[in-house]
Amino acid sequence: MTDKEKILIIDDEEIVRDSCIQILAKRNYEIITAENGEAGLELLEDFQPDLALVDLKMPGISGYEVLDQIHEYDSTIVTIVITGFATVDSAVESMKKGTYDFLPKPFKPDELRLIVQRGLERRKLILETIALRREKEMLREQFAAIVSHELKSPLGAVQQSMYGLVSDLEDKLSDEQKGKIERLQSRIADLIKLVNTWLRAISVDISTIRDNFETISIVETISKAVENVQQHAVRKDITIETSIEKPLAPINGNEVTMVEALVNIIGNAVKYTQMGGHIAIAAREEVGKILVEIKDNGVGIATEDIPHLFDDFYVGKTKPEGERRSGVGLAITKRIIEAHDGSITVESELGKGSTFTVHLPILEQANITNQEQEVLET
Amino acid sequence: MANTKLLIIDDDPDYVDGIKSILDKADYDVDVAYNPKDGLEALKSGGYDLLLLDIMMGRGAEGVMVARKINKDPKLREIPVLIITGIREQMAFLFPGQPVHPRLLPTDALLEKPVDPKLLLEKVEALLKEAAEKKSKGA
Repeated sequence: MTDKEKILIIDDEEIVRDSCIQILAKRNYEIITAENGEAGLELLEDFQPDLALVDLKMPGISGYEVLDQIHEYDSTIVTIVITGFATVDSAVESMKKGTYDFLPKPFKPDELRLIVQRGLERRKLILETIALRREKEMLREQFAAIVSHELKSPLGAVQQSMYGLVSDLEDKLSDEQKGKIERLQSRIADLIKLVNTWLRAISVDISTIRDNFETISIVETISKAVENVQQHAVRKDITIETSIEKPLAPINGNEVTMVEALVNIIGNAVKYTQMGGHIAIAAREEVGKILVEIKDNGVGIATEDIPHLFDDFYVGKTKPEGERRSGVGLAITKRIIEAHDGSITVESELGKGSTFTVHLPILEQANITNQEQEVLET
Repeated sequence: MANTKLLIIDDDPDYVDGIKSILDKADYDVDVAYNPKDGLEALKSGGYDLLLLDIMMGRGAEGVMVARKINKDPKLREIPVLIITGIREQMAFLFPGQPVHPRLLPTDALLEKPVDPKLLLEKVEALLKEAAEKKSKGA
């Protein structure tokens, strides 16, 4: 930063203001002072301070009020309380509300220099963090755009041409040639599916999931999810057994995404379980929560993979035989479940199988209107 | 199905070829416009029973503009439109597996790129049937 760092000092004692200016004079700061809260707050907009030193005890509006208003105006401004010994407790109290540090009066010049320097470093860090976060968001959005336009549309065009070609050559190709084209098409279809999954991972926006919340039944959600993966399970001769401890309270959520979350978990269980295996899904209520347990006797997860299991684009060591992985299914699942104020845990042992448990808060009885209750009962 | 005239407006020749092959094979009479301007002109010249419209053309949603213009023209509004899109995710990541239907026009349907041949023919047929029914009711 080439700009001078800016400090606002709000204190009713002239001697404190002057000594602060003097102590900090050798540093390349731009300093402005105000003798009371009102005057100080008026300066905020024009001056745009990086750091504010605020006396707690002043005539007029109190230091607390001033601090609150500074934080509200721009929460990245670092605030430091100047206080007499008698008010150390209140300084501590104000730190709980976002004040960075406090400086008891009387203070030595070095103490002021140090605390100001540290405060300004903190401000720099806050701003850098915000900039980085923004950059990350932009990268994410740009990546989505790149993936969809540069990858998905040419792949789609290839597939479309293939469809056209098949239709043109239908009566000219031998069965063997048709088989080859079919394999080409199925590989491209897999790629397109993968790109779509990535796009989905990037675009799952938790806040918009929450906009579509309604009262839903977890039992129905589970049965829809099971139905979705049933075919795959049948092909691998895997049995899926569901046991539900009735009655289960309804939850507040979005059924479409909740089904998706469960499909990802149950689908994984099918992927990572050998032919003829077994998956058990159990749901029960436990102190204000609904627990959905998905247990398989499949290949299990290596201990070192478990902490990363829910990261975007992470694929673990154990590979399912002849199955494809995108590395985003569980990341999406976790985001969806967290949007429902729930959590997901996993226990696993290599070679023995894995158990995923989804914890969801139940809808409080008081929140259910009579009408919703009727809907649930029918 | 001969004498049924279809128009494709899409700026990507690969998609156009692939889609046209399938429709040709099914004995439809297919014309092509590679940009919104030519497309609208062709449409206005008349005689089309159905339009296949790519939503994302050029620098953005130029296909949407075409749809808006069609919607404002009482005569063009009659033509059933099959909207083709490659951007389901951006439009509707909230509805996995269910393409969100923008309902840009009175009679329309939506297909995602790449367009599956069987689905394509089904949708085209259904749209033509729906339009014919509307017409006979109106008459």
